[in-house]
Amino acid sequence: MEFLNELQTAVFWIGLWQIILVNIVLSGDNAVVIALAARSLPPRQQKQAIFWGAGAAVVMRIILTIVAVELLKWPWLKLVGAALLLWIAVKLLLPEHDDGEGVESSDNLWAAIKTILIADLVMSLDNVIGVAAAAKGSLTLLILGLLISIPLVIFGATMLMKLMTRWPVIITIGAGLLGWVAGDMAATDPVVKGWVDANAAWLHWVAPAAGVAFVVALGKWLAARAEAEQQKVVDLGEGSKTGALH
Amino acid sequence: MLNLLVPVDGSGPSGRAIDHLIKNFGRFKDGVEIHLLNVQHHIPYGGRVSSVIGHDKMAQYQQEEGMAALKTAMQKLDAAELKYHYHIGVGEEAGIISKYAKEKGCDQIFMGTRGLGSVSNLVLGSVATKVIHLSPVPVLLVK
Repeated sequence: MEFLNELQTAVFWIGLWQIILVNIVLSGDNAVVIALAARSLPPRQQKQAIFWGAGAAVVMRIILTIVAVELLKWPWLKLVGAALLLWIAVKLLLPEHDDGEGVESSDNLWAAIKTILIADLVMSLDNVIGVAAAAKGSLTLLILGLLISIPLVIFGATMLMKLMTRWPVIITIGAGLLGWVAGDMAATDPVVKGWVDANAAWLHWVAPAAGVAFVVALGKWLAARAEAEQQKVVDLGEGSKTGALH
Repeated sequence: MLNLLVPVDGSGPSGRAIDHLIKNFGRFKDGVEIHLLNVQHHIPYGGRVSSVIGHDKMAQYQQEEGMAALKTAMQKLDAAELKYHYHIGVGEEAGIISKYAKEKGCDQIFMGTRGLGSVSNLVLGSVATKVIHLSPVPVLLVK
């Protein structure tokens, strides 16, 4: 009954929308990894790689997130989580390292699954904080949010990747959303909550707004600096045609 | 020799620019140096993804997308028996186009007014608009 009551409130629907978006943004990198890792495989193996690799990753993700939601009820952890989340959000906006080594790559099914699994392990530990934070303690919100967004990311990986490549502003908006969640998390940590509610209730919207501004400003600045430092002109396909008749 | 930078993205307007190039400059066969350029966007979440997937695989993806975008332009120029160089750059289009114009010592940039991303109501696409601002050399736009 309480579950049905919860569904009726606007706060719930806003929260659901928020958690779906946060989950997509934070799973976007998994989507890119899946799209790239499975690309060189024949179609039937592609489906298998996605099924096994992503399936295992999803189970891990759900368990870790439920644990995180519980942990976030403890004092100080939300403040720490907020700082971590701000750092994650800024890093989302940075371009690739030229020397990115990567996991051993070869074009077989097992290698692709391994890549997807390792990617999820390496990248999900921080993803979990964001989703747990956006859930704001509601298990309903958490499970619904995960159930809706995870299949989208897994089965729409290639499409998501193309969308995000074409319109990089999507990532900026996503990083901003994380900044918002981080600010909100910081203002509601049990350690400060009492004081904030009594003396500085305005922090409930100022902190999230500050989070957005911080992430977007710092992220864009660092990215622009990295781009400017890139002296050499990258050419991935240099070649010439002589114009003679073939 | 006239050195032209010709950014293309595989779109209709982009193809029309090539048709125009062939029609008006084709007669100067050896007097024109053509540099085809396609600019690919950065792969999203580049920082995080590159530590797992690795730079080479990502570059390979962008190269394949780049060659696909260059295909129509290359076919048209081949059919007209014109000589050209081709390049695939990575990053924000207008900035990279301007960088290439400087790097290759181009006298002029030759491109369509719109491309794949353009909204049909606008006369001038966003990339063309930014190139006009950033370009170190004259820009010729083909509608």
